[in-house]
Amino acid sequence: MRRTNRAKRAFLAVMGDEKRQRITIPVFAILLSLVAGAVVYLILGKNPITAYVSFLQGSGLLPKSSYAAKKSMITDLMSMLNAWTPMLFASLSVAVAMRSGLFNIGVSGQMLVAGLITTVTVGYADLPALVARPLVVLIGMAVGAAVSALIGFLKYKWNINEVVSAIMINYIVRYAASFVIKYFLADPVSRQSRAIRDSARLSLMDAPVGGLKMDIPLGIILAVAAVILVWFLFQKMRLGFEFRTIGANPKAARYAGINVGRNLVVTMALSGALAGLAGVTYFMGYYGSIQPDTLISTGFDAIAVSILGNSDPVGILFSSFLITVIGKGSTYMSSNVGVRQEIGSLITGLILLFAACGAFFRYMLARSRQRQAESERLTVQADDGEEAGA
Amino acid sequence: MAEGYIVEMRHITKRFPGIIANDDISLGIKKGEIFALLGENGAGKSTLMSMLFGMYEPNEGEIWVRGKRERIVSPSYATKLNIGMVHQHFKLVSNYTIAENIILGIEPKRRLAGLLPMVDLKSANEKTAALSERYGLEVDPTRKIEDVNVSTQQRVEILKMLYREAEILIFDEPTAVLTPQEIDFLLKIIRGLRDDGKTVILITHKLEEIKRVADRCAILNRGRLIDVLDVPTTSTQTMANLMVGRQVDFSVGKPPAHFGREVLRVDHLTVKNRTGFPVVKDTSFSIRSGEIFAIAGVSGNGQVEIADAVAGLTPAASGTMILNGKDITHAAVRERTDLGISYIPEDRQSVGLVLDFDLADNLALKTYYRSPFCEKGILNPAAFDAYGEKLIGEYDIRSGQGIRTGVRSMSGGNQQKAIVAREIELESPLMIFVQPTRGLDIGAIENIHRQILAERDKGRAILLISLELDEIMSLADTIGVIYSGELLKIAPAERLTTNEVGQFMMGVKQA
Repeated sequence: MRRTNRAKRAFLAVMGDEKRQRITIPVFAILLSLVAGAVVYLILGKNPITAYVSFLQGSGLLPKSSYAAKKSMITDLMSMLNAWTPMLFASLSVAVAMRSGLFNIGVSGQMLVAGLITTVTVGYADLPALVARPLVVLIGMAVGAAVSALIGFLKYKWNINEVVSAIMINYIVRYAASFVIKYFLADPVSRQSRAIRDSARLSLMDAPVGGLKMDIPLGIILAVAAVILVWFLFQKMRLGFEFRTIGANPKAARYAGINVGRNLVVTMALSGALAGLAGVTYFMGYYGSIQPDTLISTGFDAIAVSILGNSDPVGILFSSFLITVIGKGSTYMSSNVGVRQEIGSLITGLILLFAACGAFFRYMLARSRQRQAESERLTVQADDGEEAGA
Repeated sequence: MAEGYIVEMRHITKRFPGIIANDDISLGIKKGEIFALLGENGAGKSTLMSMLFGMYEPNEGEIWVRGKRERIVSPSYATKLNIGMVHQHFKLVSNYTIAENIILGIEPKRRLAGLLPMVDLKSANEKTAALSERYGLEVDPTRKIEDVNVSTQQRVEILKMLYREAEILIFDEPTAVLTPQEIDFLLKIIRGLRDDGKTVILITHKLEEIKRVADRCAILNRGRLIDVLDVPTTSTQTMANLMVGRQVDFSVGKPPAHFGREVLRVDHLTVKNRTGFPVVKDTSFSIRSGEIFAIAGVSGNGQVEIADAVAGLTPAASGTMILNGKDITHAAVRERTDLGISYIPEDRQSVGLVLDFDLADNLALKTYYRSPFCEKGILNPAAFDAYGEKLIGEYDIRSGQGIRTGVRSMSGGNQQKAIVAREIELESPLMIFVQPTRGLDIGAIENIHRQILAERDKGRAILLISLELDEIMSLADTIGVIYSGELLKIAPAERLTTNEVGQFMMGVKQA
């Protein structure tokens, strides 16, 4: 009894007050899911530590025992960064909307439109790389912003719930894109859209560097810049203050004279521009082509990644990195440990699930802390009483 | 303790994080009396009775009911002990009929064709009607809650208790939402209940009501029981002094007004609600500088919509509004703020403040876009902090961590102080106050009344909307009485009596 009390007290002390819980709760969620994942490995008869190390090795964060020709830890790391870029943009996109009290579930659709339009307009055009790449970025941003702003406008003008319209637009986009790809862009062998020109691609693929061949994601620079810009927007800018006010209390925002309707459209446009960047760094960078009939999961995973990162740009930097490491490392983990690659997705799923429980953890912690405070006061009173009696 | 108590509370202590709501309270309530609990807001009256009704359990102490010690773990257990409570906020389903609301949870059943269980609405209606008649409640069981007024809804709550055969009836601030005439009616009902042998516990901070109906009265102050008094033999002044813990001055001490030029002119204003129903109908009035124009009325008669329309939060369907000679009928909220309107809204938590923001951000909520708070779209946090510190000092806003305090954790009185400070600092020619003292204790009320008068004397035009008739009678220079969206009467305050205003509030046109 006494010992569990002490353990509980220590746990509460580590989790800290509400301010610190913004960090400790996501970390706790991650630890909890790693433990749960370890149980899965143990049931499969595998060593969980080897498995977790393999994730890191597969993402180029730890050295593997052997490498193929022209490959090294650096190539694995660059490849992981290549996959990280669109995830980072997509999570920022969700966060910008969420901080303003909006739910952008249409990120995947906005990514797809941005990817498709840039593929059609720039992807096959005979342009020098110095023209083509900036064009891809600008067109991608504009297209993503336009689609997302439409969702915001529908809400502003006719009060159509943004979740419903975003899901519907996801469907429209998915089938329209499939039609365009199958009829005009299909590669007869891969049945995807034909590979775009290297000059338009935002990642340098198999680039020879120092005797190695690696993928270099040019977009990562933009993504890190976007993290800083989004942070600056919410912390330092008047527009960000208005976004936060609307997100925290739209009635008070209106009362304070903030144009809620216009801000709604602006927020969604900004969120969409980031989704567009996620789209071009995915389809015009990481992947280099578009599959018909699919909506990639990045835009949906980004919702959970954003929640795990408290919708905070710096938090998202870490959470999206973690999720990408697990995703990219799962291939090597699979071959190294001898379990199916999908175990990686399982762990990702567990992390996101526990992250979504953040509010519940917060509630439980608040209750325990309150009880603890109460029992401590009682103990003190009892002690006082004893002294008085003596 | 002596015999004959139906309810006894012995050494009750109840703590919440940071406060002791009830501190070692012992009292006994006799069967068949009207027992009042008197105290300021936050004195612990509601908490004490919530424990009798099973909503909380005491940390220490015992509750005895009918000579037996009881652990009242839930409201449903309290109901089993024949204890009922009418809460401040009614718990009714608005699109159900009165009878349906009353039987909710203990529906009388009949079997269709001897098999299918059905709710027996017929017997519910009959029983409700019979109860209503017996206690003179004047309730038609077949009407829907959304179609009846607040006073009737309250009587439905009383019926709900009676239907569940309550013997001990707790009323939590029952008169806060009623007009003077409705209060008379309610007090008559309460007396009738006592005469029928019920025990009534009345939680209130209104001395006059206690004087009119209560047999005995317990006075609470900051969680402690000050005294239990025999009401007929105690003066109102004595009770008031005990309640506040110091001498109380009932008069506001209002200096004479000096009216200046016209600041706001509202002409033929009509405001429609979402369904297109006019809630303010063809209303005209004007306010001069140095004048407090108060709108009296029962809640929900369009007075808040007038305030929202003037502030720009609700569009005017027709009519014009002129501020200092400038037509603001179609101006945006921000434009009106800049032209000089301050607005203390009715709902301070959901409209007036952003509860998740800290005090500094909330104090700058109306000015954040101006220099020095913001230059070229970039915020200046130092300006926010300096301004926050200044206002906290000048207006005595108390909070745990100064400007960094989350507004959510502040007391209602200090939240209101923060809003009032922010709006006064705008130095607007027109200030709108809606229910500025709702839910505040006497000290805070006095403070806000003083500030309203001080602003008037600085030459501002003040639009005051309140449901508290006392507040209107003691502050207003001019009174407009609203009923069903129409200003039935506008007259200088000294030419109207409380009773006349009450008549107009009920829609009686000639008085």
